[in-house]
Amino acid sequence: MVLARVKGTVVSTHKPDSMEGLRLLLLEKVDAVTLKGKGDYVVGIDSVGANAGEIVFYVTGSSARMTETTKGKPSDATIIAIVDVIEKDGVLTYEKSAAEGAHEA
Amino acid sequence: MNLARVRGTVVATKPSDKAVQSPALGVEGAKWLLVEDCDQSGKGKGEYLVALDMVGADRGQMVLLTQGSSCRWTTRTDDRPMDTLVVAIVDEIDQQGTTVFAQGNEE
Repeated sequence: MVLARVKGTVVSTHKPDSMEGLRLLLLEKVDAVTLKGKGDYVVGIDSVGANAGEIVFYVTGSSARMTETTKGKPSDATIIAIVDVIEKDGVLTYEKSAAEGAHEA
Repeated sequence: MNLARVRGTVVATKPSDKAVQSPALGVEGAKWLLVEDCDQSGKGKGEYLVALDMVGADRGQMVLLTQGSSCRWTTRTDDRPMDTLVVAIVDEIDQQGTTVFAQGNEE
């Protein structure tokens, strides 16, 4: 599973019927330590209700079709979780509540 | 399978429908580890992934990662959206007769 930040949404009207109603999100991969964007973007299908600014992780390949949202759908990148806390070597490198507070300030 | 080091943990409270909410893989049973790709001597490469822990690995330990659809070939992850698993804890690596890594035997 790969860590990424939700940067926005992707809209498409011309797509297969099977993709109707799926939420496409623009994701930027992030460094797990600094949480800085790597400038590497991917479009992922949302299965958890993620919003812009949130840190998430997504699955790729055939595993991306294994959520209820994407069963039988042509997805190869699906967001499966919104991250609350990342801990590295005993130190919290990311806390969702703190990040939101900083965003508001 | 790739070698990696356990660097920490990731907490996520809104996991996808079937990802961790089924009884077989309950929320309390699912442990997400932050792992860093490493070489055969244990040196980190700076590339991180989130992996589901199957073996109870601890921080600092070198582990084996399984990636891709092979991750669904365990009873706990069958039909679930998982693409990175910690499947083993590495005890020792021998390279051409020399022990290049031994768990708990490092500086």
